Amino acid sequence: MNLAGLALRNLKRRPVRTSLTVLGIGLAVGSALALISLSHSIDESAREEIDEMGDDLVVMQKGASDIFGGFIPEQTVERVGAVPGVTRVSGELFMFAPSSAERSVLTEGWPDGSYLWKKVPLREGRVPASGERSVAILGEGVAIALGKKLDDTIAILGKQFSVIGIANYTAIINRGLVLVPLADLQAASFRPQQVTMIHVNVEHAASPGEIERAKNAIESVGNVTASTANEVLSQDRNFAILDAISLAISIIAAVMGAIYVLNALVMATQERTREIGIFAAIGWSRKRIMASIVVEGILLFIAGSGLGLVLSFVASIAFPFIPTIGNLISFHPSVELMVAALAAAFVLCLIGSLLPAWRAVRMPPAEALRRL
Amino acid sequence: MATANNSASGNSSDRGPLIALRGVNRHFDDGAIAALTNVDLEIKPGDCVAIIGASGSGKSSLINLLCGIDHPSAGTVLWQGKPVRRQSRWSRLRRSCIGIVFQEFNLIPTLTAIENVELALFGCRMSSAHRQARSAIMLNRVGLDARMHSLVTTLSGGERQRVAIARALINNPSLLLADEPTGSLDSVNATLVADLLLKLREDLGTALVLVTHDEALAARCTRRLRIKDGRVAQTAIDLAPARSEAGGPASP
Repeated sequence: MNLAGLALRNLKRRPVRTSLTVLGIGLAVGSALALISLSHSIDESAREEIDEMGDDLVVMQKGASDIFGGFIPEQTVERVGAVPGVTRVSGELFMFAPSSAERSVLTEGWPDGSYLWKKVPLREGRVPASGERSVAILGEGVAIALGKKLDDTIAILGKQFSVIGIANYTAIINRGLVLVPLADLQAASFRPQQVTMIHVNVEHAASPGEIERAKNAIESVGNVTASTANEVLSQDRNFAILDAISLAISIIAAVMGAIYVLNALVMATQERTREIGIFAAIGWSRKRIMASIVVEGILLFIAGSGLGLVLSFVASIAFPFIPTIGNLISFHPSVELMVAALAAAFVLCLIGSLLPAWRAVRMPPAEALRRL
Repeated sequence: MATANNSASGNSSDRGPLIALRGVNRHFDDGAIAALTNVDLEIKPGDCVAIIGASGSGKSSLINLLCGIDHPSAGTVLWQGKPVRRQSRWSRLRRSCIGIVFQEFNLIPTLTAIENVELALFGCRMSSAHRQARSAIMLNRVGLDARMHSLVTTLSGGERQRVAIARALINNPSLLLADEPTGSLDSVNATLVADLLLKLREDLGTALVLVTHDEALAARCTRRLRIKDGRVAQTAIDLAPARSEAGGPASP
C-alpha cells in the first residue's frame, strides 16, 4: 500500500461520501463549462454566420447601432462595387420578419443575380431564377422547426412565399434563415430601394493592408462603414449587450463552480480531521499527511472533472434539441475552455484539500483526535 | 511540587531517564482549567508505570504530553535528556521510539487490520512488501493472524485493541504509552488485552506507561503514580520485578 493506494481505499470504502463529492465537482465543472461555452457561442454563432457567407467586408450605414438598424440606398451597392480592389458585392435586406406560426424568422432578401445565390448550399430544390418572385429558400433548421418542405408555402410579413429550396448551412444562425428575393422583401417591409448591408469580397483579402485600403476606399463613398466580421460584432450594440450578458453568465458560472468545488473538497477533508490526528499520533510528518490528503484531492479531481466533461458534452448535444435554443445557437466546449476549466478545478481541488488539512495538521494531534 | 521518585524503580534506576517532564503545566481555556500543575516525572528504560486517578484528574493529559500529541503550557519535556519542542521531532519520536495505545482504539475505519498496522511503518524506508510482512508478523504475535485482512469495523472491541497494540509496537518502540487500553472492553477482553500488553512489554523490554482505573491492573506494574487534581499526589512503589527489564528494544 502506498499513498495513492491508501487514498483509493479510503475513497472506495466511503462510497456515499466519495460519490457525493465527485458529483459535486462534476456538476460544478460541467455546469461552468456548459454555461461559459453557451455564452461564448452567442458570439461564435454570429461570427460563423458571417464567415459562412464568405464576406471579406460588411458595409453598413455609418452610425448604425446594430446590423438591423441601418439602411443604405440600393444604388450605393453599385458605387461600392466600383471601388478599386472590390471584386464583387451584393446588397441585402435583413430583418426578423413575422411568419405564419406567430413567430418571427430571420429573413434575408438578396437581389436577382447576386453571387450569394450561387453560394447557397442546397440540400434540395433550387435557387430563384432571375426575376422570379414570391419564392423562398429555407435553412434546414427553420424548415424543421416550422415543418416545411419543398413546395409548401410560408408567410413572411403577411405575404405567401413558395418554398423552392432547402439550404444545408452549417452555422446555426444560417440554418434558421429564410432567403427571399430582395424586391419581395423590400415591398413587404415597405423599404423600397433599401438594403441593410452590403456583402463585399476584396482582391487579396488575406492581406490586412489590402483590407484596410479597401475599407478606406469604400468609406469614401460616403455615409457608410466597412467592417470585418470581428469589427461588426464588436461595434454592434445588440452583440455588445449579448457580450455583457455572456460575460456575466461566465463570471457567475465560474464563481459558482469554484464555490462548489471548494465546498466539496473542504467538507470532504474537514470530516477527516480525526483521521489526520491519528496519522499524526502514529508519527506521520505534516508533509506526509498533507501529501496523503492532496493525493485524495487529486483522485477526486480526476473523477469529478471526468464526470464534468461528460456532463458538459451531454449538455452540448442535448441543448440543440430544445428548439428555442437550438434554432439560434449551438455550443461545443472548446479545447482551450476545457483546459482552462480543468486547470481551475485542479487548483481549487488543491486549495480545497490543503486548507483544511493545513489547519488540521497545525492543531495538536490530541485536539484533532477529539474531533468527531 | 509533585515529583515522581524514581530511586526505587527496579534495576532501571542506574540508567538515565528515557523521558522526563520538568515543571510541566497544562492549562486549557486560557488558564481557566488546570489539567496538570507543576509535574516532574521521569520514565526510565524498561519502567512499567501505572498512572491512576479519578476521571478528569489529568491522566490522559499527562500521556498526551509524554508522546507529544499535546504541548505543555509551561515546563519542558526531555527525551533522553534533550528538550523536545519541535513538532517534527515529536513526529520522528512517535515514528520510531514511542508507541501509543488509546482507549478508543483510534484505528482508520476504512482500512483492514493489517493496513492499519502498516500505516505506522510509512516513512520507515521499506518496501510495501516488507511493511506487509512485518505487519503480518506483529498481528500474528497479538493473535490476529486469522483476521488481519478484515476491515477493523468488523472486529470486536478486544480485537480492535489488539490491532492498536500491534500498530503501537510495530516500530519496536522503547516507550509504550497506553491510555486506558481496557477502558472500552468487557471484563474478559480487558483481561486478555492487559495480559497481552504486559507480556509484550516483558518480551520486548519496552518501557510502559499505563493509564488505568483498574487497581488490579495497576498492581501488576512496578510503579504506580496517583494523580489528583492535576498533581502527581502519590507515588506508590511496587517492588515486584517485571521479568524483562533489559531495556533495549527487541525485534518483534
